[in-house]
Amino acid sequence: MALSDMAIVGYAETKIVLRSEVDVWELGAEILDSLLERTGFEKGEINGLILSSSSTGAGNIFWSQTTADQLAVELDFCQTVDIGGSSPVGTVARAAAAIDAGLCDTVLCLFADTAVAENNGRPRSYGAEWTTPYGYLGAPAAFGMLSRYYDDRFGLDARALGKLAVAQRAHAVLNENACEKLRKPITVDDYVHSRMINDPIRLLDCVMPCDGASGILITRRKTAEQRGLTRCAVPVGYGERTNVGAASAIVDPTLTGHREASERAFAQAGLRPAQIGSFHPYDDFIIAIMMQLEMLGFCAHGQGAAFIRETDFSFSGDLPLNTGGGQISAGQCGLAGGGTNLVEAVRQLFGEGGSRQVSDTAHALVTGIGGIPYGRNWNSSTVLILSSNA
Amino acid sequence: MTDINDLLSIDRPLPPERSFSRPFWEASREKRLLVQYDKVAGAYQFYPRPTSIYTGRRDNLEWREVSGRGVLFSHTIVRRARPPFRDHEPYVLAMVTLDEGVNVMSNIIHCAEEDLRPGLRVKPYWHPLPDGRHLLLFQPDT
Repeated sequence: MALSDMAIVGYAETKIVLRSEVDVWELGAEILDSLLERTGFEKGEINGLILSSSSTGAGNIFWSQTTADQLAVELDFCQTVDIGGSSPVGTVARAAAAIDAGLCDTVLCLFADTAVAENNGRPRSYGAEWTTPYGYLGAPAAFGMLSRYYDDRFGLDARALGKLAVAQRAHAVLNENACEKLRKPITVDDYVHSRMINDPIRLLDCVMPCDGASGILITRRKTAEQRGLTRCAVPVGYGERTNVGAASAIVDPTLTGHREASERAFAQAGLRPAQIGSFHPYDDFIIAIMMQLEMLGFCAHGQGAAFIRETDFSFSGDLPLNTGGGQISAGQCGLAGGGTNLVEAVRQLFGEGGSRQVSDTAHALVTGIGGIPYGRNWNSSTVLILSSNA
Repeated sequence: MTDINDLLSIDRPLPPERSFSRPFWEASREKRLLVQYDKVAGAYQFYPRPTSIYTGRRDNLEWREVSGRGVLFSHTIVRRARPPFRDHEPYVLAMVTLDEGVNVMSNIIHCAEEDLRPGLRVKPYWHPLPDGRHLLLFQPDT
């Protein structure tokens, strides 16, 4: 697949709110309208629609079709990607593959979820039988056990983790689309002293559930050039790994699929971690950022804290981190949350970061995390490398 | 120090049974622990699956009774929970490595917070459910 023959020609994002006052389809329409306005494409030219998972649409067995109907787009290719928080990043690869295979030409990748206002999710997993009866309430408990394991093995440095939280919060303050409640600076002490939720997971380790939407428009690079859309983001490397450790009864939860996914993505892109200009990891918990720094090759396994201590993660620093605040400080739009990290990476490559614009717009790295299996780390790990159309 | 709760008095959500996990739950009525074993791979697996996690083959699997003794792998202290566990925090959620080499998620009871450490020896505590089955909990093996 020639991933780099594709171009992301536009991005759009709604304000992230604690609870949406409008229907999820209206948020979707806002994204469509914004993308048409910014790219000059007509609605009739969009013939592919790929949606991320959405808690709002989780109970709807016709989710991509009915959304297409609401937006009145006539399609040659249509699907929902259901790899959890990895879904938004996953749509880019699937859009590229579908275009490359000649199935469609121009794809709207739409990430919309009003999981707070209207959650129709009906999960079926190991949970009801093997974890719920024990008072396991999902992600914070899983990351609590994972963090304890990390601490026993490598030692956990709360102040290093706090540095990541502070950097992301400072970025959210500069992001008008971030949830207003979170647009207040915090200190490392605030992080360290925030109340325990599932030891050693603190309140400021966790994402806040929010509502919101984002999206991108992707087409052939040749098409983009013909239309004079020179400002675009080109996907140059992608890796995806689901169910790492599936065939083992005991798994080290600090090893994730990002290792395999990033090896593939970096090899495909012909790049190394040191060449990444901005880093937009999926962040449902602060420790997930540190684990990804290790798995993606920025530092060795277990050496995350040392790397964090010596790195400046501000938008003007060595490795700009989630320059929109990430989901932890911008708010998590349900299962569409991964779109927040993706769209911010695209925005930076477009040079439209405004007061938080990074200086190196050559290459950006975006990741996804999706699903939490029984006693391991996460189901799906995705890694996407984007380059500006230089 | 705050009391770590054992949650023995609350009505827990009843676990469903699946077609392939029924032997586990049937044995739990007699406080016996059955774990799936792949005869070809020579390894146990937990939680019960519809096929071998090692080979993908179904005929390789058999149920074997084990003691349920093992060691603490990792744990977290839950301080914020939803009903019916709310207002019963803090309690301990843990992964236990059985001596047969599988990890099992459960609660640790009858244990002080300061005694929770990796490698702590534990043994089963079968907590009765209203339908005659038992829920597998763990307690220090002293």
